[in-house]
Amino acid sequence: MSGGYNEIHPEPTTFWSKYIISFDHKVIAKQFLWYGIFFLGLGGMMALLIRWTLAYPGVPVPVLGSLLFSESGGVVPPDTYSMLFTMHGTIMIFYAITPILIGAFGNYCIPLQIGARDMAFPMLNMLSFWFAFLSGVVLIISLCLPLGAAAGGWTSYPTLSTLIGSPGAGQTLWCVAIFLFGVSSTMGAVNYVTTVITLRAPGMGYFDMPLTIWGLWLTAILNAIFVPVLGAGVLLLILDRVMGTTFFLAGASATSGSGDPVLFQHVFWIFGHPEVYILILPAWGIVSDLLSFFSRKPAFGAKATALAMTAVSILSTLVYGHHMFTTQMSPLLTQSFMTLTMTISIPSAIFFANWLGTIWKGSIRFDSPMLFSLGVVFVFGLGGLTGLHLGTVTTDLYLHDTYFVVGHFHYTMAASVLLGGFAGIYFWFPKMFGKMMNETMAKIHFWGTMIPLNGIFFGMLMVGYGGMHRRIYNPFVYESLQRLIPINSMITTSAILMGAFQIVFVINFLWSLKSGAKAVNNPWNVGTLEWTIPSPPVHHNYDEIPVVKCGPHELGNPNLKNGRDFQYQTEELVEA
Amino acid sequence: MNRGQLQNSLAMTVTLIMGSMLFATLFLGYAVYRSSAVMWPPLGIQKVSLFLPLLSTLIILVSSWFMNQSKVKVESGDVGKALTANNMTLAFGMLFMIIQGYFWYHLKSTGIFLTTSGIFGSILYGFTWIHAFHVVFGLLALIYLRFALKQNGPQVLQVTVNVEKFWHFLGVVWLIMFITIFVL
Repeated sequence: MSGGYNEIHPEPTTFWSKYIISFDHKVIAKQFLWYGIFFLGLGGMMALLIRWTLAYPGVPVPVLGSLLFSESGGVVPPDTYSMLFTMHGTIMIFYAITPILIGAFGNYCIPLQIGARDMAFPMLNMLSFWFAFLSGVVLIISLCLPLGAAAGGWTSYPTLSTLIGSPGAGQTLWCVAIFLFGVSSTMGAVNYVTTVITLRAPGMGYFDMPLTIWGLWLTAILNAIFVPVLGAGVLLLILDRVMGTTFFLAGASATSGSGDPVLFQHVFWIFGHPEVYILILPAWGIVSDLLSFFSRKPAFGAKATALAMTAVSILSTLVYGHHMFTTQMSPLLTQSFMTLTMTISIPSAIFFANWLGTIWKGSIRFDSPMLFSLGVVFVFGLGGLTGLHLGTVTTDLYLHDTYFVVGHFHYTMAASVLLGGFAGIYFWFPKMFGKMMNETMAKIHFWGTMIPLNGIFFGMLMVGYGGMHRRIYNPFVYESLQRLIPINSMITTSAILMGAFQIVFVINFLWSLKSGAKAVNNPWNVGTLEWTIPSPPVHHNYDEIPVVKCGPHELGNPNLKNGRDFQYQTEELVEA
Repeated sequence: MNRGQLQNSLAMTVTLIMGSMLFATLFLGYAVYRSSAVMWPPLGIQKVSLFLPLLSTLIILVSSWFMNQSKVKVESGDVGKALTANNMTLAFGMLFMIIQGYFWYHLKSTGIFLTTSGIFGSILYGFTWIHAFHVVFGLLALIYLRFALKQNGPQVLQVTVNVEKFWHFLGVVWLIMFITIFVL
């Protein structure tokens, strides 16, 4: 395998080499973006079907019901319900958030923001996308099987995921799809780690990198270390399902030795806990940058933010046991995991305080990327705080597997990442496509997302606290939960509203793509490297590799004499 | 080290970390099975004869020695001898696979089956399969190295070093597997 040396490659000319098997990181980023948005829509539709069933059990789903579930008269059948929440989780985590945040922004921002012409290994990058594509195809095929798709939850715990729990091929294909996606992710990780270390522009130290790059880089490192753990887990699960081994099957231990279903939970969460940080770190990075850019102030404690994110990444590898407090873990272990989990609040509080310090007394511009970033600050704050209840053993034993958990991880992993992703899309759209997005529609989209979103997830926290368990087809067969019906229908109404407002985004995206106003080189007036070149950038990004002379957040310096309130990273630092 | 070499070396390092984590997970599983078992090997199952695994271990050690010779020869500029050493590595690597194949066949004749021998059979077959699957990639890398050596381009040392790292990695994993699963 030969590395890229930051030389100018000739521009591809045919349609095939330009758009399909392109080695250009900018094209691959857009491929990942389209891929992610497609699956985001699919996963979102599934979420609406789940919500409809929870609020109106036994009532036919309007419009979609007669198309999809004609046999049951438009009602979501119980087994399909299990498939829906399983595939909703899988699709959103692996096929929507990962491609958009890591695939699209990672590919787009890393070379541009560090002043490189492409990734270190462009061909590996191309393969990474096509492995993800293949994985997506396998997943979609699994949806069309006669016995249906995987239905054991996105965590796929045995015995739900063994042949006893799910006899169809759906679960096997799920495992294959996840394995292929892992291959894709690790290929990307090799590329990101190497690129950030070797291809930074001359003069750019690690702390001169935008925090977006810090987030993406830490994500890539965690990916490289922990995705193979899940790979090993699903590999053994595939062997169990296809070859008849008994790794995760409990049996008669004295005669033939027993497999261990709980082992899969350990393996899953050794991967799974870093995974939730894999998903959120890019969003943290993006938000840390955008808050500074749109407050026209240097990022408060940028170095501390970067180091705090690093600390969270390291700690995230040591806390997985808090997902398994109810598996008869010894109290010594649960308390160790609880203490380690609580330790994460310290670095989290550091960068959260830095975010507030950044906007403090800034001259804030409420452009759409900033609105979404502020949304992340609010939503992530709520999500992080509810995490404390779940990291503490005493409260977790009560709240385990309730909708409180669902609300918590949706606030952190779904709402924060989604809003962070939208912030990124609105922010880099001009650079990516050379057109501006419509600001009015963006603002409608923001409020149309933000308000119902809190209705949904705060509602979930409330019904969870009220005792409603997750993954139940019809919770209201339990009399004690019937008092939660009104909140549940409020959640569903919010979900439908939020879904409807995403149409505004799609229209804005497509309309701007076609006839948005032409974007200038630097529409947001910020100083990072990608804004020094035309929008969209030429094939090789930089005619000359830039030389970096200052950090990424040099804004609002009163001593600047150049008529701007910011300076580019390529300019000599003006002392404040 | 120039930038291209640094990139290749970093990429191989990250790849090896990924491989290590995959096998570390398997060994973690093994530790759990082993420590939670009432007796090991489980009742009614004979310990596997060490002869074939020991032979595999020796073969892979020899192949690793030849692999190292390839690198030494490339470093001293003697690509012809490096090619010979590479051929030997490839031959011993393939021999390893043949012994593995015979080992799986032999396991059946001693009454250890994949599906009916419980977790013991699952581990013996499953883990060696996953290792052998990686050896196949190692062999492909060796064949790639063969072409690289024949071409003798400017990258040849870097490719040799990377393939060497990967091949040694497979050897080390096998050694750990030999000690933990077969000897202990």
